Amino acid sequence: MSVELIWALITGAALFGVGIYGALSQTNLVMIMMGVELILAGALINLVAFWRYLHPDVAAGQMFVLIVMTVMALEMAVGFGVAIARFRSKGSVEMEEAAELKE
Amino acid sequence: MITAQAIFIGFFGVAAVWFGIVVFRTFSMVRSAIALLFSQTALGAMFLTMQAEFLGVLQIMMMATEMSIMAFFMVMFMMDPGGMGKMEMTHQKRLSWIVGLVSFTGAVAIAVFIDWGPVATTVAETAQQTEALGLELLGRSMLVFEMAGVTILTAMIAATSVAIPPIPSPEKIHKDKV
Repeated sequence: MSVELIWALITGAALFGVGIYGALSQTNLVMIMMGVELILAGALINLVAFWRYLHPDVAAGQMFVLIVMTVMALEMAVGFGVAIARFRSKGSVEMEEAAELKE
Repeated sequence: MITAQAIFIGFFGVAAVWFGIVVFRTFSMVRSAIALLFSQTALGAMFLTMQAEFLGVLQIMMMATEMSIMAFFMVMFMMDPGGMGKMEMTHQKRLSWIVGLVSFTGAVAIAVFIDWGPVATTVAETAQQTEALGLELLGRSMLVFEMAGVTILTAMIAATSVAIPPIPSPEKIHKDKV
């Protein structure tokens, strides 16, 4: 078993765990988005490690990475759009103050 | 066997995780954004170490731009962007710790205990990799690639539409004037 692959996967697992903690524990919309970014970063490192150490001859592995990067950019764009709309209407992007969205 | 590549992957991996933790440890929002930038850059350095040079450079360039924009938004939206007041901006910390730790442990267990099969020791040259990726994107995976492009365009239009302030109706403008 390759040490490089295992270390890369452990890094991905750690980033995933930290991202989950951030996305669940933060009250600010922008900070929650940072948590989601870290979760996706964990997925990215796994994809690159799988491509490099298991299937370096298959270019589809790198294409998956591009798709995840696209998802990261989309998440940021839509998240900031929602944040601007929320800030304009309520003057805050704190999730604790967004309880009326449940109703 | 511990190779130079393994040492660099370990080093950049620790850096990526450490800066990821700093994101949620600091009170300053600007420092949070910069820590996330460093975390993503360390990830890009890991890609370069793993000889995925195109993806490594792309990751560093994209994240440098993305995190700079994020820092601006942090300053705009936060009540205390400098973190001088040390405001508490967390909730359900215990649950978050538990879920984060369980996710990490589960993923590590999968990484360590699964037999991943034979590992490739060599990889194609950078130019060949980029050529193969280009042929993949414009060949077999073209539909997926096009879908990603259309989705980005849709998200851009949606985000801009949501962010534009609503235009008041002529009746409301007239009413306000009166």
